[in-house]
Amino acid sequence: MININEWLQSNTFHHEQFSDLPQLIKAKEKQGLKISLCIPTLNEEKTIGKEVVLFKSELQDRYPLLDEIAVIDSGSTDRTLEIAASFGADVYKSAEILPVMGFKRGKGENLWKAIYQLQGDIIVYVDADIKNIHPRFVYGIVAPLIYQSEIKYVKAFYDRPLALSQGIRPTGGGRVTEILVRPLFSLFFPELTAIIQPLSGEYAVRREVLERIPFPIGYGVETSHLIDVYYEYGLEAFAQTDLDKRVHRHQETRDLGKMSFGILRTFCKRLKDRGIVANLPELTANLRQFQALDNSYEQVIHEIYEEERPPMLKIVAYREKIGIDH
Amino acid sequence: MNNIDIEKIISRVHSLPGELVPFREMLLANVVMISEIPAPTFGEQERISFLEQRFNEYGLMNCCTDEVGNAQAILPGTDNLQAILLTAHADTPFPASENHTCTVDVEKIYCPGVADNSLGLALLATLPTILEGLGIRLQSKLLLLGTSRSLDQGNQCGIRFFLTNSRYPVKSAIVVEGIPLGRLHYRSMASFGGMISCTIDRKVNHKSAIEILNQIIYQLGRLTLPVESHTDLVLGAVSGGASYKIPARHAQLKFQLRSDDDQVVIDVTGQINSMLEEMGKEQGVSLHLEDIARTQAGGLDSSHPIVAKTRQVMTALGIQPQKSIYSPIITSYVEHEIPAIGLGLTYGNNIHYGDEYIEIDPIITGIAQLIGALMAIDGACHD
Repeated sequence: MININEWLQSNTFHHEQFSDLPQLIKAKEKQGLKISLCIPTLNEEKTIGKEVVLFKSELQDRYPLLDEIAVIDSGSTDRTLEIAASFGADVYKSAEILPVMGFKRGKGENLWKAIYQLQGDIIVYVDADIKNIHPRFVYGIVAPLIYQSEIKYVKAFYDRPLALSQGIRPTGGGRVTEILVRPLFSLFFPELTAIIQPLSGEYAVRREVLERIPFPIGYGVETSHLIDVYYEYGLEAFAQTDLDKRVHRHQETRDLGKMSFGILRTFCKRLKDRGIVANLPELTANLRQFQALDNSYEQVIHEIYEEERPPMLKIVAYREKIGIDH
Repeated sequence: MNNIDIEKIISRVHSLPGELVPFREMLLANVVMISEIPAPTFGEQERISFLEQRFNEYGLMNCCTDEVGNAQAILPGTDNLQAILLTAHADTPFPASENHTCTVDVEKIYCPGVADNSLGLALLATLPTILEGLGIRLQSKLLLLGTSRSLDQGNQCGIRFFLTNSRYPVKSAIVVEGIPLGRLHYRSMASFGGMISCTIDRKVNHKSAIEILNQIIYQLGRLTLPVESHTDLVLGAVSGGASYKIPARHAQLKFQLRSDDDQVVIDVTGQINSMLEEMGKEQGVSLHLEDIARTQAGGLDSSHPIVAKTRQVMTALGIQPQKSIYSPIITSYVEHEIPAIGLGLTYGNNIHYGDEYIEIDPIITGIAQLIGALMAIDGACHD
């Protein structure tokens, strides 16, 4: 196990370290890199316009960091696609990408199909529900990949000062991270506890990594990425960047329960597949929650399947597209 | 400027809306980023820093923030013999605690302060890039100024400071406001903005300050205002009290008195003072009138070349100039005898409310109008 404190020192950045965009673009162009931005969406009409306007203007027109800005949509019924297209994003319906593989509804599906659809050597994923969007949400996580070839996967984290006392600033993730994911990592993958916000939806990854890992289509995609990349490349392949503050939708505890359930299923699958825990029983897809109506209580059952897409390199159409089956 | 010159400008203006389309996202991005930085009057520093950073990124000359917090920069002209000032105020009436999150949809941008005046400030941040992209270079140097402390108790402190202390004699000025497209202001009314504070001493008087304020409002309504000088009294805002069940100890009324005659404002203000003095004789009632802002009457005639040429530019773009020619934004220029006009960039609504918005499509026409006006003024400066 490598020294977590050393890793935190060497592989944890702050976005301000990369605010010299002309220098960043020079380094990008020197390596001949292509960078694609993928924004996965489902009914995000309130925030998508602002994201596309900002990224297109600041990171394409003014500073040509991004070679493409793509919105990949799971079937929005609002004006998400119309708004994104009107401000110059490339807009795709997830169901229309790789139709031979069918369509599954979920954010992970969009992220996976982006590997097939987009051109970049680096793909940056940014959630569409960020209210305080800023160019740093992209350049902050892309820059470590441009400047350091040994880094392959960069996660964003956000400063959430829980208390301030004598210069010590406990920095934490969200509720699901602190109550579920970090305790699980502490038990089974202690080095991964160094990732401050393992569930953040903003990350930049090299294509060579993305095409080799499976993608759960639902809640478990971020957790599975960390475990799979960690197994393949070790903690050294990761970096993380502090993007300061992120304002987004508040999620109800009940919804976080569903998220936790999906993550747990994904996690258990990894434990089983890698032989860490033997003899796990067949896991149910039913999450049971309860609700009260006056003095009576009733059970609500949610079916949460964590289906997985295989590594993109195993898909024939992809291999043909990138020319490795000729 | 002769007729041939203005015809050339008008001819160019016709093609500008099409040429401006590629710059739309850049402007909108600046609108969003500026709008999301809170800038209450006296608290504009972060927004001003952003503007100065934009000026620096473009490589403008003399980028700096002055001692009252105005961001300024110079875009050099071809001969630099004259200077045209282009300004937009940076402050908004919204406190920093207001949610400044922008929403961008296909037709509109919503955000507190987006119309007044984040769009105007974003135009300053984007214009150098636009002019370069269009291959337009003025003869005069263009002074770009994002002003601080403009609204309410700021009393246009930023622009007044600049005009008093600038090293560059300003030949003419354009004041940019977000909305409405079609505004062509070139005269200032005399005005007095005041705040009446009423405080009750509970030991000797049990009335509510709001009751006293109500009597004051009634008396203000009975003032005789001269019709021939277009005099108006606007009751703008009231506040007071702490709870529904306790008589208010304090109450305040903000108002503006305006007229196209300086003397009328002086006379009516005197009447208000006398009225307050009389009402303040009641035991335990303390009344105080505080200056918020004052402006002086004056400005350009409608036949002034700057006004006439700008009207031609607007007409060429299908913009119908509004009938109102008065605005307090012209006041500081009147005080310094600098010819100035005020222009708006687009349409919008709900100004100074949380759901304030601007329309996106007309912005292109608004910028074309501004550039045409700049070219016309530049030509007039060199006649």
